[in-house]
Amino acid sequence: MPKLLAHFVAGYPNLEQSRRVALALAAGGADGLEIQFPFSDPSADGPLIERACHAALHAGFKIEDGFRLAAELVKATALPLFIMTYASLVVAKGSANFAARAAAAGARGLIVPDLPPDYDEGLFAAGRAAGIAVIPVVAPGITDARMELLKRQRPEYVYTAMRLGITGGQTILDAASILHLDRVAKLGAKNIAGFGVRTREQFLALTGHADAVAVGSHFLACLEQSGNNPDALRGVAAALKGN
Amino acid sequence: MSEATTTADYFGAYGGRYVGETLRPALDQLAAEFPRAWRDPDFQRELQRTQKDFIGRPTPFLYAENVSRALGGADIYIKMEGLAHTGAHKINNAVGQALLARRLGKKRVIAETGAGQHGLATAAACARLGLSCRVYMGAVDVARQRPNVFAMEMLGAEVMSIDAGSRTLKDAINAALRDWSASFPDTHYLIGSALGPSPFPEMVRRLQAVVGAETKAQMRETGADFAALVACVGGGSNAIGFFSPFIDGSAPRLIGVEAGGRGTGAGDNASRMTGGVARVGVAHGYKSRFLMDDDGQLLPTHSISAGLDYPGIGPQLADLGESGRVEFTAATDAEALDALRFFARHEGVLFALESAHAAAAAMRLAPAIGRGRAIAVNMSGRGDKDLFITAKALDRENWLAFLQSEIDHA
Repeated sequence: MPKLLAHFVAGYPNLEQSRRVALALAAGGADGLEIQFPFSDPSADGPLIERACHAALHAGFKIEDGFRLAAELVKATALPLFIMTYASLVVAKGSANFAARAAAAGARGLIVPDLPPDYDEGLFAAGRAAGIAVIPVVAPGITDARMELLKRQRPEYVYTAMRLGITGGQTILDAASILHLDRVAKLGAKNIAGFGVRTREQFLALTGHADAVAVGSHFLACLEQSGNNPDALRGVAAALKGN
Repeated sequence: MSEATTTADYFGAYGGRYVGETLRPALDQLAAEFPRAWRDPDFQRELQRTQKDFIGRPTPFLYAENVSRALGGADIYIKMEGLAHTGAHKINNAVGQALLARRLGKKRVIAETGAGQHGLATAAACARLGLSCRVYMGAVDVARQRPNVFAMEMLGAEVMSIDAGSRTLKDAINAALRDWSASFPDTHYLIGSALGPSPFPEMVRRLQAVVGAETKAQMRETGADFAALVACVGGGSNAIGFFSPFIDGSAPRLIGVEAGGRGTGAGDNASRMTGGVARVGVAHGYKSRFLMDDDGQLLPTHSISAGLDYPGIGPQLADLGESGRVEFTAATDAEALDALRFFARHEGVLFALESAHAAAAAMRLAPAIGRGRAIAVNMSGRGDKDLFITAKALDRENWLAFLQSEIDHA
């Protein structure tokens, strides 16, 4: 069975509630946490995560809050933690500074989809210098030449997008998806599969094809259905894990 | 490598292709195929034929004799780009990219629009070429540009109102990018300005350069000594096209006019080059100067003209501003309205609110440059589309009475 990487938006619905969301996911059996630092224009995310990001920013989220929350969660849960965000936040603080701050908070890795290795503003090198993994995102249809480019970064982890497009849609783990995952496996990195997993069946179908499965929109939808009760996510995470 | 085989990626420090891998194949395909189309004589022939018969090129170059006399300085000439089909320069780019989309075998086109002019141009180009068309538009813009929404729908486009974020142009771009990341195998994203990830800035500049090329020839015909060219700058496609044949020289002066809005504070304008709020950042797939806070969050903007109301600026203009080749200034909402009235009464020419910012700067510049020399202003759009805004701002009581009577008799 793959590991569960539980995604949540820092500062949504507010900073304290997002801390409780993360703790509930950990208590439900998450093996790692993916904390998204909200950006005003998250064009790689679906509308659900976009709304959460806007709400978090409206509630006053600042990058400093994100690093503080990340450090607290690493301390409280001892789980590996990954920070996901957009280029704009990294560039605003400077790649070296951002990577160093993330490492100091105890984060294991950084996922910034719009800073690919050939337009990275120095982030991959900054990650190496700070001792934090910078995790490239791979999508189906990626060319061999670009796979080679990623390989040259010798990534410790790679984040695999499981469908063309955005998070939160239906993902069917068809033969093409499995083939894609197996192709990514040749990079020799730990493989995080993301983008749209929401059932235990999908989760289990990835056994042997991915080291970890990132789940995000599903948790966010459940959080909203529960009337923003963070504790409800404990059971949701446990159900995916079969606990 | 020459311009014929490649497209520019960076302009100085700005530009680039900052997108996730999901969008990468679409952009790599465009970067490879656009130069191929550009040097194909059949493509050029069809583009030129469409420019002439459908757009109505060349657009006139008018000596604004009365305005010049009233201001008592340099002679002002107006590039009447607003006389192009659908009312603005936007059609030059829309037609070119729609022809490219068809050549690439794409059946569907998506676009973002702020003022609605780019959406209108795209809808018209798609209708003519038999492509299906969806236009994303912020809910605020849908509300303030209702006549353009109606026109786009008449032309067969589906207009999607976007309720996220600031509900303006930037949110429409996010929605279009999201659509494209899942739809690019059969869909072309027809970006409306010289910005976004490469190769868009360079592609749009080349398609808009026809405005500058015509102007250069028309300037020569006048025999006048041109001291400056003036254009408004939202994303910057009319300015970069207008300036294009002059960039590599050192004269005439090239002057870009941003939206000074209602003041200098954050959220009150869209001044990326002249105000104190903008910083270097990466958003919407490119690196440039953006109105953003110290965390990199894009800030709200304001302008009376929807077309200038965008937090970023095209990367080539940002670079040209930094090198000094293009000078930047701003005109406020009030100055733009004054210029609109001034040119309408003296010259019989109704500027779009966007272009009226350029007219306002030209009014300041003409006396400073003085007699014996000339200024060319790009009227990138005509003002018909703005009646619901200008009438409300300039003749509120009568306009509201008219609207009420329309409702009463509907």
